[in-house]
Amino acid sequence: MYARPRNLEQASELLASLSSGAVIIAGGQEIMPYINYGVMMPDVYVDIGGIDALRGVSAETDEVSIGPLTVHRDIQNVEEIVERLPLLAYAAKQIGGGMQVHNRGTIGGNIVAMHPLYDVAPALLALEAEVELLSEKGSQRMSLSELQDLSNHGLGTSSILTKILVKPMSPTTLWGYYKLKNSAGAYGSANAAVVIQLDGENIKSIRVAIGAATEKVVVVSGNLDSYLGGPYSSEVGLAIQKTCSDAIGEPLSDQQGDGVWRKAMAGVAARRATEMALGKLNNSSSKG
Amino acid sequence: MEDLLDISALIQLRVDGQFHELDVLPSRTLLDVLRDDLGKKGTHLGCKTGHCGACTVMIDGKVAKSCITMAATLSRAEITTIEGLADDDGSMHPIQQAFWDEAGLQCGYCAPGIVLSSLELIQDNHNPSTKDMEVALAGNLCRCTGYQSIKRSVTEACVRMYPEKK
Repeated sequence: MYARPRNLEQASELLASLSSGAVIIAGGQEIMPYINYGVMMPDVYVDIGGIDALRGVSAETDEVSIGPLTVHRDIQNVEEIVERLPLLAYAAKQIGGGMQVHNRGTIGGNIVAMHPLYDVAPALLALEAEVELLSEKGSQRMSLSELQDLSNHGLGTSSILTKILVKPMSPTTLWGYYKLKNSAGAYGSANAAVVIQLDGENIKSIRVAIGAATEKVVVVSGNLDSYLGGPYSSEVGLAIQKTCSDAIGEPLSDQQGDGVWRKAMAGVAARRATEMALGKLNNSSSKG
Repeated sequence: MEDLLDISALIQLRVDGQFHELDVLPSRTLLDVLRDDLGKKGTHLGCKTGHCGACTVMIDGKVAKSCITMAATLSRAEITTIEGLADDDGSMHPIQQAFWDEAGLQCGYCAPGIVLSSLELIQDNHNPSTKDMEVALAGNLCRCTGYQSIKRSVTEACVRMYPEKK
């Protein structure tokens, strides 16, 4: 069975009325492979692609609100995101599958899938993003980090992701994203997003989020406190690499690479993302 | 609320300029509809997972993988397949001719997808760099031609389609 509700009210009433649950579909890039191979055989598809409230990007002074139906291509190019959340725009360019997937895959679908190899979550977790969900219980706002730890959120079947909310990055925030991959359109074997604030030459804050290394994206921030207050050097870079690698508990071991290697590469990706972030500073100061 | 539910979905597609109204079951892909209902066999089935890009078509002017696009979600859409590029008299589109002349295809299985992805690129960017081409073709796998002659074909297509840019 198929339904295409016109607004959120219709969609949530419909989902609440279905006892056997449904599969919520928008771009379809995540779930169609499962349907094609008979891994998923849902009785009911609820197509949320016609709900305007789930579209668009709006930027207030203290918050950028992203509609979950925003496709990766728009995340890469929409001015509000390129200017205020450049890390997210850059990470969206690294998404696998090529332009075809970037044109149809949505940021909401990417989050709902919570696939450890995907690129959006590390960037959003480094930026401390929040999400808004609509379920039978009503609307709920929580951090993406909390959502990642919830097992009963019902997203994709009974509840709808309605907004992604991110504080704009300050112009002085340094950021980097490194994806270790073996071909242009491939999944990564270690994906790291970094956000750094400097005070003069010294590191004031650093937050790293590492994907593709474990079942969930790992956020490393407190463990990096010992590097605060001093300047970056290649020794500090190697120490950050080790701290981040040590933060990987049970590494994934799959077609993207063996677990021991993945744990090591998680650290390497974190260091390279950090170097990318600090490289921006060098480039801009040499220009200035 | 159950009255929203239907066994199938009614969709309106303009495919290569021709209008179709179709009643589709929700599990069917755009690829199924194009090949089985409309006889557009130029759109190829490769992997059904969205990796290979052989099934690439344009939906409203943007490339998409038809094997992972649920047909029911396209309530109204304009589709361009490889069969929509040539003229009515059978003469090839300049990008097809460039691929032919520069040996941008060998077995030809990936070619419909590669040509459409390349076309979207050069319509936006008349003078793409090698890097631009690699990004645009990241979602299309070719296992026999090799990307060198494909990139040469794209460059040649730009020269022919947008001579003022060279």
